Amino acid sequence: MSMKREFTAALVGAAALIATSAAVAHHSTAMFDQENPVELVGVVKEFKFTNPHTFVLLEVKGTDGSATIWTLEGGTPSSLTRDGWTNKSIKPGDEIKMKIAPLRSGAPGGSWSAEHTHFPDGKPIVLAP
Amino acid sequence: MHYRGLLGVIVTAAALSASAGAYAFDESKYPDLKGMWRGTGGNKWTPAGQKAPLTPEYQAIYEANLADQAAGGHGTDPTYTCLPPGMPRQMNVYEPMEVVVTAGTTHLLMEHIHDSRRIYTDGRDWPEELETAFRGHSIGKWIDEDGDGRYDVLEVETRGMKGPRSFDSTGLPLHEDNQTIVKERIYLDKANPNLLHNEITTIDHALTRPWTVMKNYRRAQTKEPIWWRESICAENNPHVRIGKDDYFVSFDGYLMPVRKDQAPPDLKYFKQTRK
Repeated sequence: MSMKREFTAALVGAAALIATSAAVAHHSTAMFDQENPVELVGVVKEFKFTNPHTFVLLEVKGTDGSATIWTLEGGTPSSLTRDGWTNKSIKPGDEIKMKIAPLRSGAPGGSWSAEHTHFPDGKPIVLAP
Repeated sequence: MHYRGLLGVIVTAAALSASAGAYAFDESKYPDLKGMWRGTGGNKWTPAGQKAPLTPEYQAIYEANLADQAAGGHGTDPTYTCLPPGMPRQMNVYEPMEVVVTAGTTHLLMEHIHDSRRIYTDGRDWPEELETAFRGHSIGKWIDEDGDGRYDVLEVETRGMKGPRSFDSTGLPLHEDNQTIVKERIYLDKANPNLLHNEITTIDHALTRPWTVMKNYRRAQTKEPIWWRESICAENNPHVRIGKDDYFVSFDGYLMPVRKDQAPPDLKYFKQTRK
């Protein structure tokens, strides 16, 4: 089965993403393609505020109407808390826009960061403390 | 009768006083290390502008590791499966640290994946045999360097480590023989009591020479009570190693490939029915 999916994701040819330090601490994030980030717009299915990674499960609608849930790994709760986030900063049903570093395999997974996560109108999720 | 009872009380009080002196701990003789300490300067072991003094053999291992990571693997970085970072890597202090000084042991309590250390300062010597540990075993000595009657430096030696270990998440490797010795000098900055220095020297067969780096930690400034987190790696780690291959577990519990065109794992121990 092809891992390629038609989804509302744009290959963003902008500057490479820089992983958050806490994520880099636990293990290398070189497995995610920081040089070729992908922009996703979708609806939060779940926000897991857990160790060693927080997770955003994001449902993204494809151009064909099908839905793909992306498994997105982020920094620790400790690191996010320093940026003002809590386990309630985003909730199931929230529509958000994320620039993520995808798995190199093309499977619907990747890494996310608070810095590159916003509401679709560009507003930050959390105002910097 | 009354006189004998009073004598008994005096004798008992004297005995208690003597035994209390054996455990006396004068906190005023030690630097104030209370509070929450956070690592600074990023998580790479090699300071900016420096190159790790790896032997040619281990430089080749390191470069192969970088290529593997660039292809989606984890190279020689072992911690993605929740193995602890061990020494010296855990002194990056990825998540906050608390230092608790007691009479015979200085404890470094780490929020990150419970990488706490005990530094024995009770004067013990190294035994003939050591049961190895990722964090090794540490013997330390408090030193009054400036002769003012207060200790200002904790000198530590750590031996008896097990592997696999790397210096940091780039996979910078330590030797597979695990004969590492780590020496530390831990002290507060003279000008800033909220800055803690750790001169860490690693002696390892992957290196051409002893390698010293400085790690610095800042004391969190808060008037609020500190609540420490429980940081358990196994709680929600999606990274799996099966045989020699790495996988990523999806939200719904399925294995996902991490490399392009990666094959699924070998299911030879499963009874497979034809569909």
